[in-house]
Amino acid sequence: MPDIANTTQPAATRPALSSRRLKRIAILAVFGAAVLVGPLVLDPYTVNILVRAFFVAIVAVTVDILWGYSGYLTFGQGAFFGLGAYTLAITFSEFGFGPWQTIAAFGGAMLLGVLVAALVGWLSFYPGSTPLYATIISLVLPIVLVQLIYSGGNFTGASSGVVGYLTFTFMTDTWFRIAGIATLAVTGLSHVLVSSDAGRLLRALRDNEMRCAYLGLDTSKLRIIVLVACAAVAAAAGAGYAAFGGIAAPENAGFIFGTQLVVMVALGGRGMLMGALVGALSIELASAYLSSVLPFMWELLVGIAFVAVIVTMPSGLFGVLGAAARRWVPWAFSAPQQVMLKTAQARAETVQAGIDETVLEAHDVTKTFGSLTVLSGVSLTARRGELVSLVGPNGAGKTTLIRCLADGREASSGTIRIGGTPIDKLPPHRVVRLGLGRKFQAASVFETLTVADCLRIARAGRDRPSLVTTSTDLALPAAARSVVESAGLDARLDDEARYLSHGLKQALELAMVLALEPELVLLDEPTAGLTRAERQRFAAILTDVVEREQLCVLIVEHDLDFVRQISSRIVVLHQGKLALDGSVEEVVNSDLVNEIYSGHKVAKGKEVSQ
Amino acid sequence: MANLLLDMITTSAILFLTSAGLLVVFGVMKIINFAHAAFITVGGYAAFVAHEIGLPPLLAPLFAFAVGAALGAVAEWVIVRRLYARPLDAILATWGLGLILGQLVVLGFGRGVQFVPPPVQGTVAVLDTEYSLYRMLLILIAIAVAICFTALLNGTRLGLSTRAVIMNEELAQGLGINSSRVRLITFAIGCALAALAGALLTPLTSVDPLMGLPYLIGAFMLVMVSSGSLPALAVACVVLGGLQAIISTYFGSVLGGLTIAVFAAIALRLRPEGFARA
Amino acid sequence: MIPALELEGVTSGYGSTVVVRDVTLSVAPGEIVALVGKNGMGKTSLLKTAMGFLKARTGKVQVAGVDVTDLPPHSRPGMALSYAPQEKAIFQDLSVRDNLRLGLPNDAGFDAGLERIVEWFPVLGKRLRQNAGTLSGGEQKMLIVARGILMKPSVFLLDEVAEGLQPSVVDRLGEALARMRRENGTALLIVEQHIPFIVELADHFALMKAGEIVETGPAIPSSAGQIEEHMRI
Repeated sequence: MPDIANTTQPAATRPALSSRRLKRIAILAVFGAAVLVGPLVLDPYTVNILVRAFFVAIVAVTVDILWGYSGYLTFGQGAFFGLGAYTLAITFSEFGFGPWQTIAAFGGAMLLGVLVAALVGWLSFYPGSTPLYATIISLVLPIVLVQLIYSGGNFTGASSGVVGYLTFTFMTDTWFRIAGIATLAVTGLSHVLVSSDAGRLLRALRDNEMRCAYLGLDTSKLRIIVLVACAAVAAAAGAGYAAFGGIAAPENAGFIFGTQLVVMVALGGRGMLMGALVGALSIELASAYLSSVLPFMWELLVGIAFVAVIVTMPSGLFGVLGAAARRWVPWAFSAPQQVMLKTAQARAETVQAGIDETVLEAHDVTKTFGSLTVLSGVSLTARRGELVSLVGPNGAGKTTLIRCLADGREASSGTIRIGGTPIDKLPPHRVVRLGLGRKFQAASVFETLTVADCLRIARAGRDRPSLVTTSTDLALPAAARSVVESAGLDARLDDEARYLSHGLKQALELAMVLALEPELVLLDEPTAGLTRAERQRFAAILTDVVEREQLCVLIVEHDLDFVRQISSRIVVLHQGKLALDGSVEEVVNSDLVNEIYSGHKVAKGKEVSQ
Repeated sequence: MANLLLDMITTSAILFLTSAGLLVVFGVMKIINFAHAAFITVGGYAAFVAHEIGLPPLLAPLFAFAVGAALGAVAEWVIVRRLYARPLDAILATWGLGLILGQLVVLGFGRGVQFVPPPVQGTVAVLDTEYSLYRMLLILIAIAVAICFTALLNGTRLGLSTRAVIMNEELAQGLGINSSRVRLITFAIGCALAALAGALLTPLTSVDPLMGLPYLIGAFMLVMVSSGSLPALAVACVVLGGLQAIISTYFGSVLGGLTIAVFAAIALRLRPEGFARA
Repeated sequence: MIPALELEGVTSGYGSTVVVRDVTLSVAPGEIVALVGKNGMGKTSLLKTAMGFLKARTGKVQVAGVDVTDLPPHSRPGMALSYAPQEKAIFQDLSVRDNLRLGLPNDAGFDAGLERIVEWFPVLGKRLRQNAGTLSGGEQKMLIVARGILMKPSVFLLDEVAEGLQPSVVDRLGEALARMRRENGTALLIVEQHIPFIVELADHFALMKAGEIVETGPAIPSSAGQIEEHMRI
């Protein structure tokens, strides 16, 4: 293997960074100037409409973060907006208007938003919840809220809402500047956040939640945190809206408003904060003007435009414009930054070669589906430095066993210990933290993230990612780095994973798993679909890593030559039971194996056909 | 007491009728038809039109069924079939379709409220109380819909093809089944059932452009809880519908209106795979 | 004579990956052709391309002289082309009878066909009401073959039918396929790794390597040793 030191990439990172920062400042300045000058050039009606539009745009930005970035389609953000509006309206109605009431109103709005979001998040996100279920819960929230408002009597004003309270007496122009700057601030901070190292996790969640969990990330907790933050912002926007408008009405909290927010983001462009912003502002503005000119037609047109955009351009108007801009004026987009590949600090406890430590202990593992028993009483141990191959005909229960070892909730009975700790009922991310790494059968990576970002996500559990900055380094443990380099992935660190070949995706996933610095690695048919040369290279990498890092590897494999070449032990599964467990020679030459597979005697160790 | 019992049963029947169409689409196509509410509304207006042009009242539901099927087929052909690979986008696109249908209804009939006289009037003596004859009739219609649907799915070649497509689309295609035709028919039937429900509701509620909306969330939740199985849907309707009637009677209609959404959400949290195999 | 199935310069793949490369192959009526080669070489993809599940990017697919290149998969059984995939080839939750019914475009003639099937595979006759998922592995393979021959296809595309089966079942399937050819003149394009099975059955062999057919002949190619080397557990 060529010795590639830390000087892999030229040190051309500084100019790119500052040009990026420059662009950010320029955009901020242009929008800031527009917000300040706006009231001087626009007519009062438009200014008035835009104040409302700004508050709506803030919520639309949170919808974009939740839906466009993290993949959670929500109809419930409108409810948090309404919650904030009602909190302020009721506070001012009950306690009058004043400085401490203002602080209490905004603070209370955000606190309520946080509490309700925590409850909704707990309901929506748990290991094994589906995106559809979370979306449905987001529908239930506004409906419950509106029903509560209706039944709240004088307190909530029932169907007419809370009106007639004293509030700020700013000029509309001042409101325009306040709301405009708030919108700018929320969008700007969101931009910093989503492009930071931590923000990358959002897109990873959207692309492949299962892979995130198997990289040791607590995906439910992450999603709840993001929802809580977005809910607090939406509630604050709602409070601002009620302070400006002097009213909190049921339609500010309802399900229809929640869907309108999604429509705005979809039309503007999901996954692009600018798309959400422009979508919200332009729809609010256009509907204010057009709904009086074309009362029924306008909504019909919005409906048709919405369906057309969803069907024909899922990335929205801004996505289409952005793609066109990239093609026609490529110089306006800064080139991706060069990634600096580094070797991560090894774990504190350095592994001593040759120690005989049991990493995996499975005892009497059984898995049943209803009346069907797929695994019965499988017991297995594996130690550091061992490469154990798991073989058996299709349907023997190999993948089921892997699944039971990786997810404490899978096995029907029996005990499994990883690194000495039982994994009973533990979800995958907890098992991963015990030292497990799992590579799936079909390469499971983050399709729309770059190779470098995929690997950074794998390190997120160990190197806490920054909420603000975007790193240009990629620090990997030696084993992961050697896979990256020997597969040639180091030349493609800036490419999105979806453009990789099948073989490279497999290598990337293996590198991601090794980046976890696991003690036990589960590999499910890692060589399926690889060419002979790729298999040879894979075998070399694997045996090298096991030797050097004293890893324990359990591998499901079909290719007998490959198995003979790499294994230190072979375990045979047959009809859900452990049929044999022994050295390579013992197993390959056993009559039992030949009988199981072919049903008739064949040349020893040669054809062991399925 | 007898009144409450009858309320429980008829509420279940209405829930079943208003969610069966959604179940058909979800069960076969694994997408949620957010335009379901709009198709219920379309059915209500179809019944209104049938009354205006002087069709006999018994034909009104069939007319609504036909209108729903035709519109559903067009919608599948123009919009839905492009989105099978993107189920969450299908939710959005069908929501947009609902907006379009709702606005077309407003353009055609205005925002005002219309009334359709019930085909049968008066009450009937059941147990020890007098109860609305029409509501009693709905129980029979719900049972008839369930039987027809089960017979269609289990007794016909189309039903066999449909089940084959649900289980394994590629294999079904390999055996010569035109799966896009099966999907088109399924979506049309789902929309037709929604419109049928809308027509059947007209004697109980007024006809207006938003009449379908209150049934939407309940229908969703019931379909999710029953995870696409018709018998499970029937059970869910009886259990949650009965509960809704009880809560409405004792705690008011506002809380009653929340019953299904809240209980179904909790039930799904505890048992995410639904209750089809319970 | 017009070939039952003819591929002319066919290329196909997934996304940017090409898995079948410029393949030309012809199967005469009643001929049995075995596609051999190790896994991942494009054998299954070739069958899928013939059936239309993978779009042929270049070249032509003809069935009995009719160009079917642009026909969707579901129209091809109507051209007397029958296909049995390797995986998920039966409807587990449908009865054996319903699985067989789906082998014909409509229920006319099903009873007569069923009689024939039951004569060939008596064991299926005893299990008509059972769900197909409850059958043993060998019985499931019989069901797949039985369903395929129910419509008396002119060409039958069969993927790895002998995999993992007892020798007696393999023999029974081989007999059925041979009889199908004898009685109905059905041609067979079969992907198979069970060498004794195809040596017994096939008239012609084609060795695939990296998406291309590299060798053909009336006997198993000279590189048969190479094939055996790729046998997998």
